[in-house]
Amino acid sequence: MTDNSAPGLEAREDEWLAVRCQLGERAAFDELVARWHEPLWRYVRRVTAEDEAAREVLQDVWVRVIRGIVRLREGSKLRPWLFGIARRALMDRLRERYATPAAVPLHDFDLAADQDPSALEEDLASMQQGLEELPVTEREVLTLFYLRELSLAEVAEVLGVPAGTVKSRLFRARQMLRRDMDTKGRPV
Amino acid sequence: MNQTNPARPGGSPILPDVQRLLDAELSLHSRLGYVALLLGSLAMAVLAGALWLTEPALPFRTQVAFALMIVIGLSWAVFSVWVLRHRRVLYARQHIVAGRMAVAFTSVFVVSALAVGYGSGKDGAYAAAALGGVMLMGAVLMLLRGHRAFNRLAERRDGLARELGRST
Repeated sequence: MTDNSAPGLEAREDEWLAVRCQLGERAAFDELVARWHEPLWRYVRRVTAEDEAAREVLQDVWVRVIRGIVRLREGSKLRPWLFGIARRALMDRLRERYATPAAVPLHDFDLAADQDPSALEEDLASMQQGLEELPVTEREVLTLFYLRELSLAEVAEVLGVPAGTVKSRLFRARQMLRRDMDTKGRPV
Repeated sequence: MNQTNPARPGGSPILPDVQRLLDAELSLHSRLGYVALLLGSLAMAVLAGALWLTEPALPFRTQVAFALMIVIGLSWAVFSVWVLRHRRVLYARQHIVAGRMAVAFTSVFVVSALAVGYGSGKDGAYAAAALGGVMLMGAVLMLLRGHRAFNRLAERRDGLARELGRST
């Protein structure tokens, strides 16, 4: 059966790109960079909240992608794979900065969250400053979801947590952002 | 449903750096250089091993020299394999090129060793030819595996291109 839905189409586009890279087609690598550089940049830039750090991390991400794409088994999972690499590069950077992994707040919070996370996008567009002041875990989950390149299930795959935990984190992040905005008198 | 952002090359300040990175990381010459290093270092280890095994009553210092040559050859071979697996990985097309290089190199090695053995009657040359024969079989297997992997990926690429209405 042919899946004509947009997510199915996107998955096949991703796989087509991944397979051509695995074959060693230079044009495919150029397309990969053209397609994914900006989304990865936005994710890395928002989580690091620094231009210079984001540049270094993104260089590292591309090196890992170029060297690792031959081992990608399912090309249709290209986008969670890319963001997973970006996340690992970010975590390595944070570990270096804080010298100990314990300092990186990546713990889970399984709060109940029934709120539709897609409502975040409009809010986030006017909340850049507040976003940068959030802890890494909350900033990361909001950024990944806000980019709208990944479904909820794919965000969960990138973060290595169940989809319910992603919803919880989104809910909690939004609450924190709202409190921050209220305190500083910015509209949410 | 996710919205897909259009590609925006040049939107980030570091895109030129990434292009340079691609040029460096995807360099074919450096990959083939490591393939050549792997083949050369293996050949050196095989030659030293064959001579050591077949020459009678070698002085101790000569045996140490052969042992060192084998260790050096194998060390370079291990290093080359590591680089080709982790730093300058071979993509499907390059696997085939590397396989062809390996088959050509080991064939020349075996024929040369047999010629030397035939001309000089030295057992060491025949032993080197035998070990070279093992290398040749490995090279042929590598080439066949490379072709299978390439064909599988190319078939998938063409199928997806048809589904997506793209040209290959």
